[in-house]
Amino acid sequence: MRRLVSMTAATVAAGLALTACGFGGDDGGSGGSGDEGGATSIDLLVPQYSDGTTALWEEIIASFEDENPDVTVDLEVQSWDNINDVIRTKVQAGEAPDILNIDAFSGFAKDYLLYPADEIVSEETFGDFQESFIENASLDGTVYGLPMIASARALFYNEDVLAQAGIAEPPATWDDLLAAGTAVAALGTGVYGYGMPLGSEEAQAETSIWTFGGGGSWTDGDAITVDTPENLAAVEFMKRMIDEGATQPDPGATDRTPMLDVFVQGQIAMAVGLPPTIGQIEERNPALDYGIAPVPTQDGSPVTLGVADHLMAFRNDDDKQDAIRAFLDHFFATDTYLSFVDTEGFLPTTKSGAEGTANAERFADFLEVLPDAQFYPSTNEAWAATQGALQSLVGQIQTQDAASVLQQIQAAADNA
Amino acid sequence: MTTGGRPARWTATARALPWLGPTLVLVAGVVFFPAGYMAWTSFRDLSQFGVDNGPAGFDNYARLLEFTALSRVLLNTVVWVVGVVVVTVVVSLGLAQFLDKAFPGRRFVRLTVIVPWAASVVMTTTVIYYGLDPFYGVLNAFLVDVGLLDQPYGFTRNAVPAFLTAMGIAVFVSLPFTTYTLLAGLQTIPDDVREAAQMDGAGPWAAYRRIILPLLRPALAVATIINIINVFNSLPILQVITGSIPGYNADTTTTLIFKFIRADRQIDTASALSIVNFLIVLAVILVYLKVVKPMRDDE
Repeated sequence: MRRLVSMTAATVAAGLALTACGFGGDDGGSGGSGDEGGATSIDLLVPQYSDGTTALWEEIIASFEDENPDVTVDLEVQSWDNINDVIRTKVQAGEAPDILNIDAFSGFAKDYLLYPADEIVSEETFGDFQESFIENASLDGTVYGLPMIASARALFYNEDVLAQAGIAEPPATWDDLLAAGTAVAALGTGVYGYGMPLGSEEAQAETSIWTFGGGGSWTDGDAITVDTPENLAAVEFMKRMIDEGATQPDPGATDRTPMLDVFVQGQIAMAVGLPPTIGQIEERNPALDYGIAPVPTQDGSPVTLGVADHLMAFRNDDDKQDAIRAFLDHFFATDTYLSFVDTEGFLPTTKSGAEGTANAERFADFLEVLPDAQFYPSTNEAWAATQGALQSLVGQIQTQDAASVLQQIQAAADNA
Repeated sequence: MTTGGRPARWTATARALPWLGPTLVLVAGVVFFPAGYMAWTSFRDLSQFGVDNGPAGFDNYARLLEFTALSRVLLNTVVWVVGVVVVTVVVSLGLAQFLDKAFPGRRFVRLTVIVPWAASVVMTTTVIYYGLDPFYGVLNAFLVDVGLLDQPYGFTRNAVPAFLTAMGIAVFVSLPFTTYTLLAGLQTIPDDVREAAQMDGAGPWAAYRRIILPLLRPALAVATIINIINVFNSLPILQVITGSIPGYNADTTTTLIFKFIRADRQIDTASALSIVNFLIVLAVILVYLKVVKPMRDDE
């Protein structure tokens, strides 16, 4: 029996250690293999945007390898849920991929792990990116990320339900939105007014839409500023929406993806969606009578939350730089690039892409608001922790005072 | 055995070493190295991507103490462990007693009890999570249809009900192991002991309390200790059920470790909390052994 106790103690030790360190992360064949008989192999780690992501990349890699027989590309696809843990484990183990596709690059840049962007693509490719995205991809004046795809938000509204509630125009201001939300709730049909997803999945996006819409910002250019008068006003209005019953119940624990499904089913009258939401509606409920409008803001002036994901290259081995440049130039060649962006249903970040995209008409509502897009301050080192704090804390406004919730998030940002 | 016994035993150990070697290497590699590495990490200053920025002294532990929700999280942890383990053991005692009796179809019922064990915990939890969803959950719809609720309730959307739901699931998935451990214990109790108690005039309840329970003590000890450790370290149930709930009102120390890593990107603070977690579970087991003395021989 005594042996049992010491054994169990040892088991605890092992269990806890595994929980904490995250050893044994899967290692999809990135042996850091450099040259094998003159051939270079580069590791590519990408997140899964849709069910078709893997096939798209495989196609691009195949066409690249046809043109560059001496380079092989090893693809690893991870879900968005896992990719941050995977990359962290890899970096910690000294096995960073050569090319990574992810949202934020600044943490890696600060740790001196990345090539500057102009060293990993040709001048021509580099000059093709839209300026606003390049600005968003630089840190202390150096560009480290290659803006790869963009996304913007707009208000999706159920025309039938709004008409039923006697609302002719989609809401343009916060007050309109509140009125429309309560009017829908007052119908008593079981349809909720405005879907506010403050669950941990993407609470930072919903909150940013509101704070940007009230003239707020997450940074003063230097530090992360969460607890500001503008942000507080926005969050207080969010709380008012919840308190007055204009939202679905329990917004604090509602995740975005399942909530958009509820919108698609017609049980929520208004929700902020993304370009791929159009495809989801076509696929799951084509009969839905909906419209798209700019996101309502405090005074009705257009603002939206833009998100850009980036490609970046790690300084693993200097003789791979040419192979990396060849691959990235291949990827950003207009035809290849548009095949990826158009199929995944995102907005292009290059000038040639914006002219050539097949989705110009379909995404007109989004392309229109793109110039007014504001971004997360993802180049700020403290942003990742701030985003985490927003995800895990902002939903508390459902039961707590808005000011104290913002103070908690500010504290997490200051701590990072 | 008084003189010369010691050296003889040493030679025996030395001779056994080549055979023990692989196991020792495995234990060192799988248990001691990760635990030691975690302890080391808890005294380092790590960047959010795991780059080591030098020693941190006790900073990581200090940050833990400053963490305002810590007392609530510790309280939750106590409620979680005590609640789940006590309910599991009590229900299992009843189930084991029942399964120990011969009745038609006993084999089938015994198999049924194993099912929650055989199914993946994440799957079981996810099924219940979807069932309780206020928008499209079948369980919620059922409760509304039979008139128990006026409208769907967010069981998984508020800290307290979600935490209780998670506890219920934890009991459910802990029952098979506990029941079978206790059942095995019951079957080691010879029939003549029970008969003797009956002859001496002990009623069923007195016989159970005075004879069966004391004899079950070793099995009960194994079941309790393993459950304490399992439940204490359990992440998946709470992660699925309460993962999207804002704030820390539904967190235990184990899920808090996870949040430190995922949300706050503080690998070093998470390591410090893991060490604290480890010490807590060690202390709980030592106290349990000291107070309950489950290893005492009663013969």
